[in-house]
Amino acid sequence: MNQAEVDTTQLLKGVLDLAVLAVLAEADSYGYDVVRRLREGGLDHVGDASVYGTLRRLYQAGALNSYVVPSDEGPHRKYYGLNNRGRKALEQSAQTWVSLSKALNHLLNGRSNGHGK
Amino acid sequence: MASNDQANDVATYAASVRAALSDLPSEQAEVLLEDIENHLREIAAEAGGPLIERLGSPEQYAQELRTAYGAVPANTPRPDPAVQDLRRAIAWVTASDWYRELRAFLPQLRPAWWVVRGYLATLILTAAFSQGYNLGPIPNPTSKHGLAEILATGVAIWLSVRIGRHSGGLPQGARFLAVSGNLLIAFIAVVLLGNMHSFAYSDIIGTATPEQQPFTAAFAEGPTSNIFPYSLDGKPLTNVLLYDQDGRPLMVQKSEAQTNYPTGADGKLITNAYPLTQRHINGDPVIAPRVAIPAWLSASPTSIPTASPSSSPSH
Repeated sequence: MNQAEVDTTQLLKGVLDLAVLAVLAEADSYGYDVVRRLREGGLDHVGDASVYGTLRRLYQAGALNSYVVPSDEGPHRKYYGLNNRGRKALEQSAQTWVSLSKALNHLLNGRSNGHGK
Repeated sequence: MASNDQANDVATYAASVRAALSDLPSEQAEVLLEDIENHLREIAAEAGGPLIERLGSPEQYAQELRTAYGAVPANTPRPDPAVQDLRRAIAWVTASDWYRELRAFLPQLRPAWWVVRGYLATLILTAAFSQGYNLGPIPNPTSKHGLAEILATGVAIWLSVRIGRHSGGLPQGARFLAVSGNLLIAFIAVVLLGNMHSFAYSDIIGTATPEQQPFTAAFAEGPTSNIFPYSLDGKPLTNVLLYDQDGRPLMVQKSEAQTNYPTGADGKLITNAYPLTQRHINGDPVIAPRVAIPAWLSASPTSIPTASPSSSPSH
């Protein structure tokens, strides 16, 4: 793992809940599928164990409901979906994220503008 | 990867993850790990190849789970720092490239082990059934059982390879037995081979003719050039044949004195009949020294139990 990957992992930790909630808001999904969709969404370095642990924690915290879907080709899949609490958590976290990223973008732009002139 | 191997891989990996999280309170661990096997199966099914390549070591995986879940060990004390260091060291080794290469390479050596195993089994059987300690390396074409040994070794190797090729899908219990059996063979063979040198050495001594390998008596104070036996009541004895503990004729150091050995019926010199008839270099006969015969407490010395004394060892 190189330095860039370590940094990404550190940054991801804080927003992984939000990312997972966002993926599940799109469609109910099972563990490995969540990992895949996060990676497809551009979070290349998201760790499998991190996603699995996050799902279990959100479920335990009552933000998700879960149900088992039998599968023909492989093991039964435990699907997760947002319940009311989860949707509320997503809404709040999303707002926080938007204002946070605005602030950060502003800071970063200011820096690059300042150095650019 | 065959689905059977895959299931094993998943079970092993999941067990290691569980073990690494065994310090968590059991309910917490249960909730966290409830679905882990299914989850890992999903990855294994899609990715192919061992999970450890895909996910890193189970310990690292467990650590990541722990962080993401926000798990805290309840009241169990953290493991000893030394144990943690050891775990880290093991994780470091098992995650390294050369370890993976070694792991991938070792299975290729299996056929070689089958051949060696067949040979070692013959060696152990030979050792078990041969009389005494005259064990040399087998097969020994010059020995009288040479051909039999070569044949037996060939058959054993063939059998061992056959067993090896058919031991693929053994159930867990049989697998354990097989591994134990292999280890036992290796262990006995190591012990045997460790003693091989001394066996082979005694073999040479044992089969050598007494004339070729006499045993020379010496005392720390200086060379012994003659031996003068006396009877219990102090009478000098003549032509006493002396042998060492292995039945080899006992010989004294050559000295400047001229020795006249008596000749046996077979025309060979008898070199261990004492006292030796010797002449000094100036021609004077070597005479018996003055000795003080100690007084015995009891009438006769204890007799030594013997097999019939023989100048040629039986083995």
